[in-house]
Amino acid sequence: MKAHAVHVLVALAVASPLLALLPLGQDPAADWPKEVERACTSPRYGLRLAAARKVAKGGGAAVPAIVAWADKNGRNALPQALVDAIADESTTEAPVLDLLFAWAEDRDFYWRASALRGLALRVGPAGYRRVAILKLCKAHADDPAWLMRTHARFGLALGGDAGALALAEGDPRARVRLPLLLLQQGKLPPLQPLIDALGDERTFQETPWGQQTANEAHKALKQWLGDEHPLAKGGAFADTAQALAAMHAACSKKSGQALTLPQVVRDRDVAFAGGVELLSCKHGDQFVQWTDDGRVFLGVDAARELTVPAANWDAVSKDRTALRLPDAMGAVVCDSIRLRWAAPKTHGKAAPASLPADAANWLKRLAQAIEESGDAKAAADLRAGIEQFASR
Amino acid sequence: MAIRLLLPALLLLAADDPLKVGFAKLAGFDYQEGMKLPKEVTELDEKLVEIRGFMQRESPGSEPVNSFLLINDACGCNGTPKLNEIVFCTLPDGVTTDIKPGVVTVTGKLYVGEEKEDDVVIMIYQLDADTVK
Repeated sequence: MKAHAVHVLVALAVASPLLALLPLGQDPAADWPKEVERACTSPRYGLRLAAARKVAKGGGAAVPAIVAWADKNGRNALPQALVDAIADESTTEAPVLDLLFAWAEDRDFYWRASALRGLALRVGPAGYRRVAILKLCKAHADDPAWLMRTHARFGLALGGDAGALALAEGDPRARVRLPLLLLQQGKLPPLQPLIDALGDERTFQETPWGQQTANEAHKALKQWLGDEHPLAKGGAFADTAQALAAMHAACSKKSGQALTLPQVVRDRDVAFAGGVELLSCKHGDQFVQWTDDGRVFLGVDAARELTVPAANWDAVSKDRTALRLPDAMGAVVCDSIRLRWAAPKTHGKAAPASLPADAANWLKRLAQAIEESGDAKAAADLRAGIEQFASR
Repeated sequence: MAIRLLLPALLLLAADDPLKVGFAKLAGFDYQEGMKLPKEVTELDEKLVEIRGFMQRESPGSEPVNSFLLINDACGCNGTPKLNEIVFCTLPDGVTTDIKPGVVTVTGKLYVGEEKEDDVVIMIYQLDADTVK
């Protein structure tokens, strides 16, 4: 008994320094294959989320189990929650960095932008891997997928490249996302894009993307303002105008930046008859809307307008009205294409490789009309995106 | 007399009108497990509400569902939804629906508070959904 106690003490003495080397929160006794299975397949979202956090805290020790699960089930079967949880942890252990690099460099991986965010967040403490992270960020700073290029620019900005904030950006969501990420990291970016976002009420085929962006911007500003938020002591804004004025004043005062008062931005006064929303983490998002008389609008904000000649548009419209699409085509995990128009009433969403051939052919026809109306790049982007969704 | 009869009916109608609730309120705070939830969300507990959002399956599949997640983000662009960014909706027993594309409006009775399973918080907003449009 006495000898046993001595053994235990010796074992503790040997193990204690080793345990101290474990990053905070790591569980040396965890059954990582079981935890990864839970993170990926628990029937309840909350259980998957909790398991994902536990696996992420496991750091390098959990990585072999993640890789084994992905090898068996496919990388794209990994849930976003697991990738985000690993991205959000601070460990810079080699196996974790290797995993994030492998994911971020895989163009077919749905959650590559989350992995790149994880690398961007580690650019400071990554030691000798810092150069490789910055190189990867530089390579993706103009990626067609807006989250990928935003997270690449985020990494560059955290790495000290102030020019990353000045790079041209056509997507209004990305213009807000980059300063938002920096603010969340305690860096003070130019706040005007975030202030302007507060008044954004624009939609795309009923998706209130402007309001979503406004909510995210407000949440980040609220956290940054703390006690200086206009409603820190409770209450509610009287109306949007008062909210914008109060937020503008509070942000101007705290930042010392010369900010202009944001305006409410609403959709263009156009009677859209339909639209196509193609969301792709691989090829980038494409947004097309049209009117009955052949005006075609590109971008989530309908910023670019083309006119398709009447005869051409009539033929495109005739082909479209012949399509009959179900609401759901395939099981959407991440990338999707949504087609919506008023006549005949149609609203369908398809997963990759699930779009019926006649719908894919019609989209190619639409791309051709766009090309013939003067935007070859938009047409090429749309064609590239369609390929991912055409059924095989 | 007619007015006296009409008044309770009008009051009933007003009481049954769902409150329009947005994710700006539901998700407008930084949720941490075990925290005291803000008054603006706890006061919605057991209220008839109407919420707009995107339907998502809780588990992968393609069959009609009896329960689903209602979230604020169609594309996962803001990262993994946190528990205060999700309303867990359940339809009446035996009722199922397809996952609809685009924004839907769900009406029903909302329950606010941490719900645990296996000692883990699995939801904070539950909705007994009456309609999905």
